[in-house]
Amino acid sequence: MRRMKAAAIATTMAGALTLAACSGGSSGGSASEDPDTSGGDAPNELTFMFRGGEYDKIAYQQAIDNFEAETGASVTMIITDADQYATKLQAAIAGNKVPDVFYIEPGRMQGYVYAGVLADLTDYVAQDVLDDIWDFGVEAYRFDKETGETRTGPLYGLPKDVGPFGFGYNTVMFEAMGLEAPDKDVPLTFDEFVALAKELTADTDGDGELDQWGTGLNVQWNSQAFVWGAGADWISDDQKTITVDDATFADALQWFADLSIVEGVTPSVEQAQTLDTYQRWMAGEIGFFPVAPWDIATYNAVAADNPDKFGYDVIPYPVANAGDDTATWLGSLGIAVSENSANKELAAQLATYLSTDLEAQKILAENKVQIPNLKSYAFGDWIETDAPAAGWPANTEEFLQIADDYGRALPGTFTYEPGWYDEFWVGIEQVTDGQMTAADYVAQKQGSMQQLLDLAWTNADQAKAQG
Amino acid sequence: MATTAPPDQAIATWTKADAKASRKRNAKLHRKEYVWAAAFMAAPVIGWVAFLLFPMAFSIYASFTNWNGIGKMKFIGVQNYVNLVSDPYFWKALWNTVFYMIGIPIGLALSLALALALSRSIRGRTFFRTVYYIPVISSLAAIAILWQWAYNGDFGLVNQFLAVFGIEGPNWLMDATWAKPALIIMAVWKGLGYSMLLYLAAVQAVPQSLYEAASLDGANAWQKFRKITLPMVRPVTFFLVVTNIIGGAMIFTEINIMTPTGGPQWSTASLVWYIWQKAFKNLQMGYATSMALVLGILVLIVTAIQFRMNRANNFSID
Repeated sequence: MRRMKAAAIATTMAGALTLAACSGGSSGGSASEDPDTSGGDAPNELTFMFRGGEYDKIAYQQAIDNFEAETGASVTMIITDADQYATKLQAAIAGNKVPDVFYIEPGRMQGYVYAGVLADLTDYVAQDVLDDIWDFGVEAYRFDKETGETRTGPLYGLPKDVGPFGFGYNTVMFEAMGLEAPDKDVPLTFDEFVALAKELTADTDGDGELDQWGTGLNVQWNSQAFVWGAGADWISDDQKTITVDDATFADALQWFADLSIVEGVTPSVEQAQTLDTYQRWMAGEIGFFPVAPWDIATYNAVAADNPDKFGYDVIPYPVANAGDDTATWLGSLGIAVSENSANKELAAQLATYLSTDLEAQKILAENKVQIPNLKSYAFGDWIETDAPAAGWPANTEEFLQIADDYGRALPGTFTYEPGWYDEFWVGIEQVTDGQMTAADYVAQKQGSMQQLLDLAWTNADQAKAQG
Repeated sequence: MATTAPPDQAIATWTKADAKASRKRNAKLHRKEYVWAAAFMAAPVIGWVAFLLFPMAFSIYASFTNWNGIGKMKFIGVQNYVNLVSDPYFWKALWNTVFYMIGIPIGLALSLALALALSRSIRGRTFFRTVYYIPVISSLAAIAILWQWAYNGDFGLVNQFLAVFGIEGPNWLMDATWAKPALIIMAVWKGLGYSMLLYLAAVQAVPQSLYEAASLDGANAWQKFRKITLPMVRPVTFFLVVTNIIGGAMIFTEINIMTPTGGPQWSTASLVWYIWQKAFKNLQMGYATSMALVLGILVLIVTAIQFRMNRANNFSID
């Protein structure tokens, strides 16, 4: 009898488990709330997981239509919320349900390569295709796992985009104040920038309170250009040594903080949140502010609604001294292929389409989602006719120069993990609020950042050894 | 009919063969029942094994490994726990998490006061009950975004309200001193309706005869509240304290939305937020798991102490 009971329980559990397994696998490949992210099984089936807005979807549908027509393949698109993408991808990898093609951030690439998740695309992408993509966009996805060197070695992805973080000024405000517009080719020096910012900072309605400011920059997202523009950096070229405890670095950071504390050309220390200054910039209350491709559609709409207060153009970031090289950061998101894809070659072909299909690139650029990935198009028809027709700013070429020439990756992008870089910003308010000098701050941070950088390298070595 | 048959007749017809057949029938019947019982039991048992026991065992193992969450695991013994002890951010995040618990007694006191007010027959009682409950059923992410705007130091609603009384409010979420209290205020506001509803039910369940007897003995309103209402709603208080502490220990969404970098000088980073950072941003899933287990054990200990204290203070009106 006891045996019978045990058998009954075992049978029932087995049945229930089978049912559970069936239901788990029945989610299919549709873009439902909890989609099956597994790669396609049939010879011509692929899955593509990504995040993005409406225009990304339209553009990729166009690229995928072209791809399907040419190859006879069938592609299932899986779109997720931007803030959940990384977590979902990691869960998909842990659950061995890796999509054939998916977005990858350069900063996460090393761990994925060591774990054998990403396919080496070197042999699948033709050199002439790579030659027509921004160098930064290709190098960001190269990684030599033997030496740990980034930006060189096998290719593990292609850029979905490159995002130049430009600088801009309010053309309407300059005109109203009778100021000469900054040169579009020669960067302002720090001193010239402060002098102009002071002239722009004013009480325009005469109520005794300032209602217009020279600038209003967020330290975490905007100070890089100024630190680099002074010739300093967070990390050494080999990505192994923290370099913040340096007089040039400290001076540049202090200069940045002093825009508020000493010069008074920003709304106020308390108002230095991006949200505030972003809105003040669009309200025509701020003279200089960052301008990036993803802002263009919004800025254009604001300029159309409020032409008496707001208009803008792009200029290079200021530099410490005349003749110094201007700098800013250049972001990127990549498109990678699963090492376990049943159709690796086809998946690599799809990744190439998504990155370089001309029709898709035109849709994305026309809708101001990004600058084109293809250099030939960007420097040709786009900058000559398509960009002006679509309403990109007059000096859009600055974006192309950032992408082609002087844009840099954010510090932390090319190390195994960016904990050391995040550490720099914990407590930065003490500098921007004037409670601590930049020199004291960087001296205090050097050790803890180096410790975390060393840990990142140790973890990278362990990931390499463990696979 | 069989039950009304004379006993001697029933005994005469009940043979050994009948008994055997009956046992067989019963066994068959029981077997079917066992199968059905097993079928009904299987779902929760499988659920428990698949979604609790296995993940917990896996987590315990993962906490003793060097694992980035995507590659292979390497057993490293207690190294993660050793690192955790010397990690200042772990302690800072733990302190922040404990600090958030200040909101629990504040929230309970306010919700009890509201429940007492709304248990009386006042005009618009149903309206107020609904209003206070709306935050409970609203999306936490949406609420967090709204409060982020409300706390804006420049033109946020909170500072505009304070300005009416001549108070210059701080830049709440950008000020290391005020960021945590700001999050506590929001959490109290969000949880008020739920606690109020439970208290309301408890307050209305207190027998009126107790109050009448107290009145005859000359007790005033405060004495009635302290000696009758408060003890009578103690089971609800206990339930709310336990669930709020467990919920408070897991605070994450509002922090991640309102202060995505952990707040000024890391003043708002909770332990779960730090665990998430380590697991998904810094590729240290093994280390993150060890922190999660420590948090789980701490919550378990606090809950066990509460149960013990509650048992010691238990009483009955019988």
